[in-house]
Amino acid sequence: MSQQPIIEIRELTKTYKGADEPAVNSISLDIFPNEIFGLLGPNGAGKTTTISILCGLFPATGGNVSIDGIDSHTDMKKIKQIIGVVPQDIALYATLSGRENLTFFGNMYGLYGSELRDKIDHYLREFGLEKHAGKLVSKYSGGMKRRVNLIAGLLHDPKIIFLDEPTVGIDVQSRVVILEYLKEINKKGVTIIYTSHYMEEAEHLCTRVAIIDRGNIIALGRPKDLLEGHPEFKNLENIFIHLTGKDMRD
Amino acid sequence: MLFIMPVVLIVISSLMQEFGWSSLTKEPSIQVLFVNNDQDSLGTKIQSGFKGSDVFGVVDSLNGLPLTEASAKNAVKKGEYLVAIVVPKGATRTMRANVRLSVAKTLAGFGLGNPTMVNSIAFRDSVDVTIYFDPTVKKTFKNALISSVRENYYKFQTDWVFKTFNQEIAIQMPMYKPPKEAFKEILKFKEVFPSYREVELIPNTTQHNVPAWTIFAMFFIVIPLTQSLIQEREGGSLFRLLTMPVPYMTLLMGKVGVYLMVCLVQTVAMLLAGILLLPLCGLPMLVLGDDMAGLFVMTLAVAMAAVGYGLMVGTIAKTHQQAASFGSISVIILAAMGGLWVPIYLMPPFMRSLAMFSPLNWSITGYYSIFLRGGSLWQIAPQVFKLLLFSLSTVIVTAIYHKYKKPLNS
Repeated sequence: MSQQPIIEIRELTKTYKGADEPAVNSISLDIFPNEIFGLLGPNGAGKTTTISILCGLFPATGGNVSIDGIDSHTDMKKIKQIIGVVPQDIALYATLSGRENLTFFGNMYGLYGSELRDKIDHYLREFGLEKHAGKLVSKYSGGMKRRVNLIAGLLHDPKIIFLDEPTVGIDVQSRVVILEYLKEINKKGVTIIYTSHYMEEAEHLCTRVAIIDRGNIIALGRPKDLLEGHPEFKNLENIFIHLTGKDMRD
Repeated sequence: MLFIMPVVLIVISSLMQEFGWSSLTKEPSIQVLFVNNDQDSLGTKIQSGFKGSDVFGVVDSLNGLPLTEASAKNAVKKGEYLVAIVVPKGATRTMRANVRLSVAKTLAGFGLGNPTMVNSIAFRDSVDVTIYFDPTVKKTFKNALISSVRENYYKFQTDWVFKTFNQEIAIQMPMYKPPKEAFKEILKFKEVFPSYREVELIPNTTQHNVPAWTIFAMFFIVIPLTQSLIQEREGGSLFRLLTMPVPYMTLLMGKVGVYLMVCLVQTVAMLLAGILLLPLCGLPMLVLGDDMAGLFVMTLAVAMAAVGYGLMVGTIAKTHQQAASFGSISVIILAAMGGLWVPIYLMPPFMRSLAMFSPLNWSITGYYSIFLRGGSLWQIAPQVFKLLLFSLSTVIVTAIYHKYKKPLNS
């Protein structure tokens, strides 16, 4: 790829207080505009820690991150304006309706009035939630919550979206709607960084993937290239198991 | 719930205290078993003294049978009554004999009567008025009851001393004409409650309870506030909020604003309960005082201290359970320490010094300045200053904690 990377990660390290080993161990990585980049790894591999640092949730112990040419050490606020985050947990207020949640999070991005209302209406329609917009989130099904969780990260039209296991624990229909929409916005130029345990999903969705384990990148490339490099395996899941082992993780 | 429960609390606690020591209803609230074995003037006088009391009522028979010492003692033992008074047989006779002897000895000093004979007579032994108390009775109640018995006794004895003097002098000096009025009590008590206002504010259960429970309720905002903060953290909303281009302190200040409003609305509800609801229950109406600005500033300062405290506890606590138990118990401790339940002047010296460090003490002192002393902004300035300083300190601790120990950075 001859393009300038939209995300440059250099020797990124994070060691939690009291931990013997780093959660992220000096990783370097470039992610290019308009990619759907998959960060794959078993539990505790360092995926969420990496995403959390990229989003400015907490500082790295070492290394540098630059997003869209902005150094994270100098202007994290500006970075936060161009990124959207869809956390692994349902990060919504259960005592508010879907629309109220979206209005609140929209306000946090500086969106107000008819502009925000129109965007919310658009996304609610897009994700088949318009009839349920007034219901409390606590009354939503798992799939509906996931969809609202995703919309909340899209409202401000971010250039880059971080999705931490966006399809975990939902019905097939909701998963299809979410993945189709991600492909659609990616076509419009949005860069997507995505973590998942579903290898098949990642294989079909991602333009490139990094397999990360114990804080290190152990494989990086297009799914097709990885498969060609390991002809003995028929799919990404087999390569993943081969590289990360069969031991269960905490 | 945040508004209804505190109002219910005010009504119930005011009713409990008002009818415990009623001064308004004129209906005695504590029944005293009275065994008058004396069956003479002293026993009757003490009994009638209790009958005329606003607090104590007299019971002299049980199940249609006249009370005896044994039946009265048994009733107290079983917890059916709090107290039984037994005036022994011959109490009046003993008192009269001793008074007569005392008068005769005094007159003998003037050479009247038969000094040699009088001085050779000894006083009779004192009579024991036995009082049986239920073991659950508090010391203050015992003291009040004993004082009441003693007061009635001394009144009767004083009256009897003067009567005896007049009789004895009249015997010794036939020309002596006793006055029509032997004795007039000269000591009367006038209760005055100095106030900064022209009009005197009369302390009553309402004026005491409404501010005390208002403060208590405001500080209990700690529970919903901490729960909200922890819910946000555990549910993932904080994760999302922290990835947004809004500083964390701005988010917290937004929360502070909302909870301050809740505290203010809660206070208005409680004051309205004091003005409108308590009088319907037969309690005195709350008098707000003249200085509305002072009342508002005081309320705002208390609310800021309470919300600041909630913010700090919610940020530092790691779990719902930790926040709920520490939050509620610490507020109860600070309330007890600060004199919300037991007045500071009844506390031992060590506790009195500790009370000075409780924000709830500063709060109640400020509110009492307004509600009981008719104070204005100037009089409550020290308390307001302390509360604002406390609030600021909690916000600083929260900010430092967040900076050096990010809530999601485990």
